[in-house]
Amino acid sequence: MNDIALKANNITKYFHTPQKFQVLKEISFDVKKGEFVSLVGKSGSGKSTLLYVLSTMDTDFEGGLEIESQDLIGQHQNRLAAFRNKHIGFVFQFHYLLPDFTALDNVMLPALKLGEKSKQEIEANAYKNLELLGLPEQALKPANKLSGGQQQRVAIARALINEPSIIMGDEPTGNLDSKNTEIVFDIFKQLAEERGQTIIAVTHDDEFAAKSDRILELSDGELVG
Amino acid sequence: MIRSTNLKVAFAHLTSRVKQALVAVLSVTFGISMYIFMNSFMTGVNDTQTELAFSTLAHIKIYNDLPEDRSNILQNVYETKLINVRNAKVIQYTEGIRNSQPIIEQIEKVPEVTGVTSQVNMSVYFRNGSTKFNGQLSGVNAKKENEMFGTATSMKFGVWEDIDRRKDGLILGSGLANKLGVDMDDNVTVSTADGITKSYRVIGIIETSMANIDNSKAYININTARQLESKNQGYATDIQVNLIDYDDANELAERIGQNVDYKVESWIEANGQLEAGNELRNYIAIAVSLTILLVAGFGIYNIMNMTVNEKIKEIAILKAMGFEGGDIIQIFLVQSIIIGILGGLVGMIFGFGVASIINQVPFEIASIDTLPMAFRTVDYVSAFVFGMITTIAAGFLPARTASLVDPVSIIRG
Ligand SMILES: Nc1ncnc2c1ncn2[C@@H]1O[C@H](COP(=O)(O)OP(=O)(O)OP(=O)(O)O)[C@@H](O)[C@H]1O
Ligand SMILES: [Mg+2]
Repeated sequence: MNDIALKANNITKYFHTPQKFQVLKEISFDVKKGEFVSLVGKSGSGKSTLLYVLSTMDTDFEGGLEIESQDLIGQHQNRLAAFRNKHIGFVFQFHYLLPDFTALDNVMLPALKLGEKSKQEIEANAYKNLELLGLPEQALKPANKLSGGQQQRVAIARALINEPSIIMGDEPTGNLDSKNTEIVFDIFKQLAEERGQTIIAVTHDDEFAAKSDRILELSDGELVG
Repeated sequence: MIRSTNLKVAFAHLTSRVKQALVAVLSVTFGISMYIFMNSFMTGVNDTQTELAFSTLAHIKIYNDLPEDRSNILQNVYETKLINVRNAKVIQYTEGIRNSQPIIEQIEKVPEVTGVTSQVNMSVYFRNGSTKFNGQLSGVNAKKENEMFGTATSMKFGVWEDIDRRKDGLILGSGLANKLGVDMDDNVTVSTADGITKSYRVIGIIETSMANIDNSKAYININTARQLESKNQGYATDIQVNLIDYDDANELAERIGQNVDYKVESWIEANGQLEAGNELRNYIAIAVSLTILLVAGFGIYNIMNMTVNEKIKEIAILKAMGFEGGDIIQIFLVQSIIIGILGGLVGMIFGFGVASIINQVPFEIASIDTLPMAFRTVDYVSAFVFGMITTIAAGFLPARTASLVDPVSIIRG
């Protein structure tokens, strides 16, 4: 059976500066395809660090990582970049957009890079995603002219553009009001249930976590539940 | 291949910092225009120098060379004995070129040759009453001489071609005429080394702007000169040859020399200092212009480094979204190249402008009126090519730095 979307095996990571410090301690877990997982824990417990490892951006760790049955240990940076582009959608904790680009261009960029669809198709999909997140009027505004919450939603729209098998969010609703948080939660839920996309979201919102399929809790770099 | 997505990002970067991009463009513009100006100027100076030189100097000269070392040839035969020859005399069998016509006909068949003429040159005394000056008398074929050296344009009084018509006519250098105190239609007496004296009428005065020539040279009909020397019809002391391209002189001199019994000498061999001067000026031009380009390169390097630092978050995001190191290099290299192309095009126009203006600056020495300037496509093309190489080299290092950015360390903040 292969309904495993992501497999973390004994992930251990140290920071060496300012002093040696074990930030992740033998973390092992599986996430099934179409599962909506919340990652919770106190500030500084290592949630973001773990997410960067899972996203293949941080390769400086020990242990095993498989996504979509692909072993991602020891791969070349360019291979990992291509893998991220196609399979992983990421929403950063501080919702980074390219400030010189419009909201629409920001959303289109990963798809243009992937280059599997025509520009017209990508543009249509990008509009659809922006609409989904309630931002159709902001499409042509430069990203640095949007509010924090709007930027975060553009970042979510961007994470969805390549229909990645896994969407990872580092407090994707951290800047949103309860209404928009609910909208984002519903979108994630829908993507997981209807399209079988896997969601891993770091959150400090207990209500958000409680409604998801499963909660993983980190405490001082250890998985406690 | 450059991906259009990368181009799009590169354009966005450039247009978001127009001011810095302009500064970078300006530094390239400056480098390229100075490169063009320096090289145009040096080439102009070289061309003028060469042109001045070739107004009296042929590309190839053929003459009867005397053996160089005439002392004590016996010593070579009796190597072990000490030979002493006192008061040695040199017997010269042939003086000058006895029959120049077949040689001229033969050389005229060489396709690279544009003109051939023979001269009878001699050292003489010019005399007017009691004033007497040593100088050079040149028996020439006026028409051919003019075709090769444009001598007629230097005439101050009289008509150059009259030499061919008037066997008793003499054209004097202006300085020589002054020294002798003669004017048009006056008579001048000429005495040869062999003691023959004849009188000629001044039918023209020539001013070449080269003082050593104007002060000592005179021209007469070549047949008159032959008579003066008591020589036959075909006699000549020098055969002067001009070529399509004077840079080929060495090679052609060697080729012609294989079929001619006399000394065939290229202008390069005879006037090494001319060529050396040209070469040295070229080196200076290259050194200065490459230095300027290097400075422009540092300008681009600086600005691209600043850009990379400014855009480091964006680089991290791009990498997080799956852009590879190669994409990031493209994004920043494309910016450098656009800066290089813009700066290069403007620089070529600007360089042309500067060269044109400097070309108007008065500079009245010898026969030139303004500072010399060459307008050669090759200078513009090579400025552009060197400019692009500099830009790409200067842009590559920052682009590589950008491609090595670790996204996590930036995004974590
Ligand atoms: N680059 C680094 N070098 C050294 N220590 C680091 C570095 N980045 C993070 N840390 C430390 O690692 C630990 C985990 O950090 P991390 O950002 O993963 O926490 P977090 O769970 O995401 O917290 P938050 O909820 O506040 O975002 C913290 O103690 C932090 O101080
Ligand atoms: Mg965090």
